[in-house]
Amino acid sequence: MESATRPTTGADGPYWQAMAAGRLELPRCEDCGRWHWPAVFRCGSCGSWSQAWHSLAMQGQVFSYARSWHPFAGAEGIAVPYVSLVVELPQAGGRRVLGLLRGDERDLAIGAEVKGIAASTLVGETPIPAMHWFLNNAERGA
Amino acid sequence: MIGTFSGSTAVAGIGLRQYKRGKAPMPERGVLIRAIVDACEDAGLDPADVDGFVSYGDDRNNEPVRLMSDLGTKELCWSSMIWGGGGGGIAAAFGSAAAAIATGQARAVIIFRTLVQGDSGRLSGAVMAHHMNDHLLAAGIVSPAQPCALRAQRMFEHHHVPLSVAEELVRASYYHGARNPNAVSYGKELDLGAYRSARWITEPFRLFDCSRENDGAGALLMVSSEMAKDLKNKPVYLLGVTQGAGRGWGDLLENDDHYASAGFESVARRLWQQSGLQPNDIDVAQLYENFSAQGVASLIDHGFCTYENVAEFVRFENLIAPGGKLPVNTSGGNLAEGFIHGIGMAIEAVRQLRGESSNPVPNAKTCLLAGGPGAPTVSSAIFGTERP
Ligand SMILES: [Zn+2]
Repeated sequence: MESATRPTTGADGPYWQAMAAGRLELPRCEDCGRWHWPAVFRCGSCGSWSQAWHSLAMQGQVFSYARSWHPFAGAEGIAVPYVSLVVELPQAGGRRVLGLLRGDERDLAIGAEVKGIAASTLVGETPIPAMHWFLNNAERGA
Repeated sequence: MIGTFSGSTAVAGIGLRQYKRGKAPMPERGVLIRAIVDACEDAGLDPADVDGFVSYGDDRNNEPVRLMSDLGTKELCWSSMIWGGGGGGIAAAFGSAAAAIATGQARAVIIFRTLVQGDSGRLSGAVMAHHMNDHLLAAGIVSPAQPCALRAQRMFEHHHVPLSVAEELVRASYYHGARNPNAVSYGKELDLGAYRSARWITEPFRLFDCSRENDGAGALLMVSSEMAKDLKNKPVYLLGVTQGAGRGWGDLLENDDHYASAGFESVARRLWQQSGLQPNDIDVAQLYENFSAQGVASLIDHGFCTYENVAEFVRFENLIAPGGKLPVNTSGGNLAEGFIHGIGMAIEAVRQLRGESSNPVPNAKTCLLAGGPGAPTVSSAIFGTERP
C-alpha cells in the first residue's frame, strides 16, 4: 500500500518523509543535545535553531496503551478492537511516539518491549505512514 | 498573595436550557439567546445592557456580534474565546470576563456555551478536529476517549490507582443526578451491574465512564461585585481563577511529563496561591468529568488526595451531598445531569452557593470548578458566597 505524506504546518516534515521511506527519524538539538518530539524549529531549552534528524532503531517500551472497541468516526479503516500505543524510545532520550499494535497481544503491559515497522494506517480512503509495533515475543504478520 | 481581582466580580444570573440530543426546539443560536435572556431575567438586568461575551471550546457558530440583534445589545465591548477544543477553557472563561470587568473594558459579561447536534455536529468530533493531526490518526486516535484512556491506563497500571475509584466517582454523579429533576438521569439510580458489564468504548472506559452530549445552552452573567449588589439575585463571587499549562504539558503528541495527570498541576498551584485558599477550604467541587478517570486525576492534581491515598478519599460516601467530606458534581455532572460541554457544571456551582441545588451542601461557602481534565489547556476557578 503506497502511503501519502500530507502537508504540515509544523516542524515535522522530515518525520513524514523518513517514515514514508521506511525509517523512523526524530530531531535532536545540535547545540544542547536535547531530543525534541514534537519537532521544533527552535530549541526552547538553549535557543538553538540547529535541529538534526537522526535515524533510530525501531524498538522501545510500551509507555501506555488503549484498546478501542467503539467504531469511532474517522477510524473506519482499522478493524476493531485495536490497540493504540504510546512507545518510549530510550535511544531518543525517552521521547515517545505513537502507533498501532499488531500481532499477538497476550503480553501487552506497560514496560513491555516492542519492535516496530514503518507501515501505513488507512485514514478514510488515504493510507498515511505509521509506526506499527509488535510485542517482542509475538509472531509478525497478523 | 491574594489576586487583585479576587472577589471583585460576581455571577449575578444563570440560565440553562437542556434537551435530549436532537430534541432542541430551535436551532442552536435560538437556544443560546433563550439561555442568555434567562440569565438576564434571573439577575434582573435588561439583556440589551449586556456588553461582553466569552465562550470556550471552539463555539464557532455563535460569534457574539451575531447575538446583538436578538438581545438588543446597545454596544459590544468585549468578545473573546478561550483557546482549546475541549472543556479546558470553561473556568478560564470566567477569568476573561473578570479581567474585562476589573479593567473597565466591559460591565456586564455573559459566559456561554451552546451545543445543538444538527448545527455543531458531535462534540467529540469537533474537539478532535481542533487537536487532530496525522500522528494521532496514524495510531487510530480519533476521539477524546482515546488519549484520556491512554492516560487513565497509565494511572491505573503504573501509578497503582485502584480501578474502583472511577466507579466511586461515577456512582456519586449518578446519585446526584437521580435526585436532580433537571438531570437526564433523574429518578434513575445507577445499576452497578450494568455499569460493570457495559460495553467497552476504549479500555479502561466502559460506556458509563464517558460523558454523552445533550443539546442545549448555558449562560452566566458576570458583573462587578458593586453592581451585583443592586441586582435581583444573591451574588456568587469569583474568588480565584487560573488557566494554562506548565512546561512539559500541552499538545505534545503524548509526550507530557506527568502523563497520568489531568494537567492541572501548575494551574492548581497558582489557584491556591492566588486565592489564599487550600483544598480543605473547599466545601463542594464541580469536576468536569469527560471521563471518570480524569475526574479522579483532577482531584489528585488539586491536592485533595495522592496516588497513595486516593482510594481512601474517592469513596462514594465522601463524595455525596449533604454529608460527604467533599461532595462532587452535585447536579449529576457531565455524566448524569447532562453534557453541554460542561457549562452545566458552572451553573451548578452557582446554584450550590445560592442554596438552590437539588443536592444542597449545607452552609457551603466555597465551590471549586475544574475544567477539561486532560486537555492541553486547562483551567480552574473558585466561587464563594462572601468576598474575602
Ligand atoms: Zn538546544
